[in-house]
Amino acid sequence: METAHTDKNFEQKLNHLTDNLIKMSNIVEKQIEIAVNVIKSKDSSDAQTTQNLDEQVDEVERDVRDLSFEIMTLHRPVASDLRLVFTALKVSKELERMGDHSRNLAKRAISISSSFDEDLTDQMHNLGKGVQKMVNQTLESFFKKDEVQARISWNQDAEIDRQYKSLLSDLIERMHNKETSVVDEGTKPILIAKSLERIGDHATNIAEEVIFNITGHYIDLKKSDF
Amino acid sequence: MVDQNSNYALQTSEVYVHYGKKMAINNVALNFPKNEVTSLIGPSGCGKSTFLRCLNRMNDVIDICNVKGKFLLNGNVDIYSPDIQVETLREKVGMVFQKPNPFPKTIYENVAYGPKIHGIASSQNELDEIVKDSLHRAGLYEEVKDRMDDIATGLSGGQQQRLCIARAIAIRPEIILMDEPCSALDPIATAKIEDLINELKENYTIIIVTHSMSQASRVSSKTAFFHLGNLVEYGETGKIFTKPDKEQTNDYITGRFG
Repeated sequence: METAHTDKNFEQKLNHLTDNLIKMSNIVEKQIEIAVNVIKSKDSSDAQTTQNLDEQVDEVERDVRDLSFEIMTLHRPVASDLRLVFTALKVSKELERMGDHSRNLAKRAISISSSFDEDLTDQMHNLGKGVQKMVNQTLESFFKKDEVQARISWNQDAEIDRQYKSLLSDLIERMHNKETSVVDEGTKPILIAKSLERIGDHATNIAEEVIFNITGHYIDLKKSDF
Repeated sequence: MVDQNSNYALQTSEVYVHYGKKMAINNVALNFPKNEVTSLIGPSGCGKSTFLRCLNRMNDVIDICNVKGKFLLNGNVDIYSPDIQVETLREKVGMVFQKPNPFPKTIYENVAYGPKIHGIASSQNELDEIVKDSLHRAGLYEEVKDRMDDIATGLSGGQQQRLCIARAIAIRPEIILMDEPCSALDPIATAKIEDLINELKENYTIIIVTHSMSQASRVSSKTAFFHLGNLVEYGETGKIFTKPDKEQTNDYITGRFG
């Protein structure tokens, strides 16, 4: 636990920055959870909720950006404080992109016919659940400053990628075979899977930022580098 | 251990300083690379100025101050050896103080004084050249060239400090010690001194005590953090101000010291 600054104003701003990131993370986690559920439920009001939450995410991102700018200008942070501000800016950008993907995938999910192949729907949903878990663990590692957890989360992306490629091959094969439900939906399932895969990529970027925030170094991680 | 590595202008080890019974420096070892600027930082009373003053034996004049340790200039000159005259040492290790302290003499005489008493100039022409060159190097010549016979105390604070730097370099030192050289100056004068420090390191090794974290990060390539007489951490300035190894250093530079 770090000791407090002698400059209370600076301390408050740094705490406010962290509070904003927690707030933003909570919203994005909620967005992803709802979006993943929409893959199965096709509930249009839930899809609309992801859209509404996205506006909140954008607003908090602006707050993080403005506050970071103010801290850098007025307080000239160094060492752990500088790394926190730097990380906050980058993590908030990653979160904002995750929010966009969640909104888009929910919107596409409700446009897919309810008679769409059940097995493929389950595969997309499972991929979504895996991504959701990875995102939760990555963000937890950020707020707990847990380097080991960040590395574990980072490594989970390999499994996400594997599931994504498997789903993609399955979709392509069924299109070749002219399975009506798949062909009728066109590229929508592919784009949903791609959005989920991209959310996983943003989570790995956050995991790298977590490690930088803790160690001061960007580490050239390899998939098996625990 | 002090080694014979000539890449260092000054090497120190096992340095202990006591004021009477009070310990001011506790077993410090610190080497100063040639032609680099090293900052000594730390809270008031941490020993950084005491340590700086050991480096040209300024503490000799304080009766209760007892200095022990190894201090090697250029890898082979023990600056506390009985064979070393303090005046000779200070030709090699000059000093600039917190408050500009020009002599109540003309601008010319302030700079010419050192070379005269150390017998550096063999003729009036040579002395004139040294004065001119030193004022040039201190970035002051253009501002004072037409009033060399004016009394130096009439200069602004920033000009006076640059005059003191000119006076220090006129005796051709190898090392310049600076004890909070900008603390009495406004931001513009401070910027000029910092620019000057950057230029001077081409020819001199500079060791600067500063309370300004931003100044340490701007002017120095190496930084040493002192606390309660101990050297807590020493390293590349870029690393100290982005990812120091010690939590105590992080707490100090981020303003978490109560």
